[in-house]
Amino acid sequence: MIKLENVVKVYATGEISLTALKGISMDIKPGEFVSIMGPSGCGKSTLMNILGCLDRMTSGKYILNGRDISGLSDNELAEIRCREIGFVFQSFNLLPRMTILENVELPMVYAGIPRKERRERALAALERVDLSNRIKHRPNEISGGQKQRVAIARAIVNNPSIILADEPTGNLDTKVTREIMRIIQKLNDDGTTVLLVTHEPDVAQYSKRIIHMLDGEIIDDNLVNDRIIF
Amino acid sequence: MNLIENIKMAIDSIMSNKMRSFLTMLGIIIGISSVISIVSLGVGGQNTITGEFEKIGVSTIRITVKTAEAETSDYITYKDIEQLKEKIDYIKYASPLKYQTGVASSERKSRTSMIYGTNEDMIYIDNTEILYGRFFNKIEFEEGRALAVIDETAARSFFGTSKVVGRTLNIGSSANTKKVTIVGVTKSQFEMFGSMVEEDEMPVIIYVPATFLDILYSKESRISELYIMADSKENTEAAGILATNMLMNRHGNRDRDVYKAENLMKQLDQINTVLGIFTAFIAAVAAISLLVGGVGVMNIMLVSVTERTREIGIRKAIGAKTSNIMFQFLTESVIISCLGGIIGMILGFAGAYLLGQLAGITPTVTPQIVIVSIAFSSAVGIFFGIYPARKAAKLDPIEALRYE
Repeated sequence: MIKLENVVKVYATGEISLTALKGISMDIKPGEFVSIMGPSGCGKSTLMNILGCLDRMTSGKYILNGRDISGLSDNELAEIRCREIGFVFQSFNLLPRMTILENVELPMVYAGIPRKERRERALAALERVDLSNRIKHRPNEISGGQKQRVAIARAIVNNPSIILADEPTGNLDTKVTREIMRIIQKLNDDGTTVLLVTHEPDVAQYSKRIIHMLDGEIIDDNLVNDRIIF
Repeated sequence: MNLIENIKMAIDSIMSNKMRSFLTMLGIIIGISSVISIVSLGVGGQNTITGEFEKIGVSTIRITVKTAEAETSDYITYKDIEQLKEKIDYIKYASPLKYQTGVASSERKSRTSMIYGTNEDMIYIDNTEILYGRFFNKIEFEEGRALAVIDETAARSFFGTSKVVGRTLNIGSSANTKKVTIVGVTKSQFEMFGSMVEEDEMPVIIYVPATFLDILYSKESRISELYIMADSKENTEAAGILATNMLMNRHGNRDRDVYKAENLMKQLDQINTVLGIFTAFIAAVAAISLLVGGVGVMNIMLVSVTERTREIGIRKAIGAKTSNIMFQFLTESVIISCLGGIIGMILGFAGAYLLGQLAGITPTVTPQIVIVSIAFSSAVGIFFGIYPARKAAKLDPIEALRYE
């Protein structure tokens, strides 16, 4: 499903150039639940941005669902972000002026789905993250855990083939972290491929496979033996 | 991503910053309202003047003697006028116009007046409505009777009432006055000035038989100004040519070009052209304020883009295309400008009516003014919205997401 071949990313600012990714190759199959771990500055966010089609690589090859997306235009990348990828961020990134329901509907607005279907699908997605009430509230009226559940609902509402979660529990306490990880695990159980970036070993234990990165390289890639399962 | 979604989003955003949106609109409101009020008053003024001219008659021609070049024998006589009416079929009415400035006094009041000497046809040429009494007739003209016709404003000024048929005025120069009997009162001559001028300050015009004016001022019956009215608009030009031809024949002065025929419609065109240029000029000055308003829109949109950098990043991350973001911001600036345009238009018309009341002009509202002003304010919105919208659309999603 995801195949990276020798992906290099160089940030050139003025005379200094920084190589953030030094030839990453990896293979993620449908239905996998992968954690990417590593200290800050190791390149995991850069990798995430490239996988999420927010950023372009300097060289290498990225094949998503059998399609080479290395040379696509901005609009084609936007299209892929819209239909193939669901983002979950550490800071939730909900739009404050919109209600919860409207936030979840937004990706479908860009996908051109008619209003009635949007409403139905948004309600279904909120149901999947156990958040069926308070949907007319605005994000500042609900708790952090609830916000992250809204963000997850927004990520899955267009039925993407992969969910990219960048430190999704970074701003949450232990109890809420467990709730969120349980939801993510359930989504994975239902067949959604999940890629998780985290620096917390506990959180990584919910996934099936852990990739360790250091200084822009993969140093370790193992299956999780003692996985936490609800 | 359709237009309705865009408009809904734009309205949400405008409403979430009501005060700021209103202040942004204010520039457009002021610009559009001043353009609208000036243009509608200008067009209204043109229509009022056209109306006055049409009252005088579109088929009227004024023939004047070029006094600088004319010899005594070249002046028009009463006999000429009779002949013109008799021999030229196209001419329906013809009247001399002589005038003297003099003094007119009733028992109550004495005022400087214009004394117009005409014949019985002048009432038709002038196309003025008689309110009380009548205009003097052919026989009274021929006999040079001491009769007068005044308008209602003058009547009120002299007698305190407009029903003054049968009353008398003393008119003439300070050295020599004669008593005239008022036979008719016309509608006010200077209606178009409305309440701009006090009744007592309105010029007084007194119509008397031209023959009587000759007696009053003991002058020869020289006529240097003649009005003719053709039987139709189409024949006006021809009537003028025939009339001057006949005058030249009768006076034997074909070799000298002493008669000048003017169609009043031509003067109207000139006045309208001048008024049109004047209106356009003031409107152009007002349009500059619209430009300033547009810059205000651009300024606020730029602020808004910066403030919403993170929102733009989120939207892009979840699948918004560059064009989606572009249209979102463009819709916002167009709605602000358009709304400002509509409010400005309403205020502009209201202002035009208020000013029009004071100036005695009915402002004219044409569909063109409405369409042009809405189109223009939208254009301002697009023109000044494009740069901020492009700036928003081109934001790098990663940078934008990091923005605090």
